[in-house]
Amino acid sequence: MTDFSDEILMRFADGELDAEMTAKVGQALESDDALVARLAVFIETRVQAHATLTPLLDEPVPFTLAASVQRMIEAKRAGERPEASSVIPFGSRTANRSWRQHWVLPIAASLAVAVGGLAGYLAADRTGREGGLLVAGINSPALRQALASVVSGAQVNLAGSEERFRVIGTFRNDAQDLCREFEVDSPDSSTVISVACHLNGDWQVNFAVVAPGDSSGYAPASSTEALDAYLAAIDAGAPMPAEEELRALDALR
Amino acid sequence: MTGKADRVEDQLVAFLPNLRRFAISLCGSRDIADDLVQMACERALANEQHFERGTRFDAWMFRILHNLWIDDIRKRKTAGHQEDIDERHDIAGVSGEREMEARLTLTSVSQAIADLADEQREVLLLVCVEEFSYRETADILAIPIGTVMSRLARARRNLSLTTGISAAPARSDGIKRPE
Repeated sequence: MTDFSDEILMRFADGELDAEMTAKVGQALESDDALVARLAVFIETRVQAHATLTPLLDEPVPFTLAASVQRMIEAKRAGERPEASSVIPFGSRTANRSWRQHWVLPIAASLAVAVGGLAGYLAADRTGREGGLLVAGINSPALRQALASVVSGAQVNLAGSEERFRVIGTFRNDAQDLCREFEVDSPDSSTVISVACHLNGDWQVNFAVVAPGDSSGYAPASSTEALDAYLAAIDAGAPMPAEEELRALDALR
Repeated sequence: MTGKADRVEDQLVAFLPNLRRFAISLCGSRDIADDLVQMACERALANEQHFERGTRFDAWMFRILHNLWIDDIRKRKTAGHQEDIDERHDIAGVSGEREMEARLTLTSVSQAIADLADEQREVLLLVCVEEFSYRETADILAIPIGTVMSRLARARRNLSLTTGISAAPARSDGIKRPE
């Protein structure tokens, strides 16, 4: 009787032998229990390793990772190079408008503000900058309508304006509010990356980064570091699959 | 043919779960894994011109991620960074409280996989989990095919020793023996 090496048996188990050798091993297995037992080690370890690690595929990809990769892809598609950008954190509640004219800070310096103190600040000087900051005007029916209806990955022109609106992803924050990360391109070619959450029956814009873009739109990757930090801070859940997103949006109506 | 579906950016998002599983299994930490995945995507997008159309996208991505991981290990060694052993043991602690019972029976296998030497675990992953051929695995890891086989055999022997994986089939076969 032919004595097959462990390597031959392993290759048999993995389908890595040629037909002739496969037939030889197969024949020997019919009458050699010891050989079957040795082969079983290789078959079972394969089966068990596969079964053990398969559930990892079902684990949701963290929102920050998925969104970050999505942005890289969009930036590449747009053929855009990263540029300097400014961060403008603001809360959506009314506050002392004259307290600050506006916030334009380098990303690193403003991170703590963007993440920690959103509710307390307001980007007051909305008229001073065209385009991008209009997104702060959550009173805009067009924006509210878009937030409630546009699905992730889709892009529309906001009614009554020349602004392009697209949704990057939909998720729930640590309080289980429905939140949407979206971008708005203005005619002046700046792009606002923003997060709005649905709270007490209305959308609230909680975070925004203004990124000077080029005509192709899309925010450069450098302007998204603050966003990533923000998403991590609110414990953003994984982006919803399309069906779940539709259900969640339906539930708001 | 360079159809749209062949482009790296069109395949990347759908491939994230696989890439992430590979990364988690390699490094045993979700945080490090997510960084690795992000860096791998960045590198892939920047080097798309090196991706040969018609070849396996998954193999190309795994190769990029594996290279980044090797660089990372090297850096950690240089920096004297201590690996968090507890994190490594968390590889298949995927479902949290979910499916507690199923996990109990599988924990020993996931533990055994986590305990394998890095070079044994990665060949096991690529062949037995990602179902690459020996040749493809050799290409991804940039090692000879003979090395793939010897590492793979060792990985599986270790796995079966620490988990008793092979016992049942061998015994049940023995019972039927007409002697």
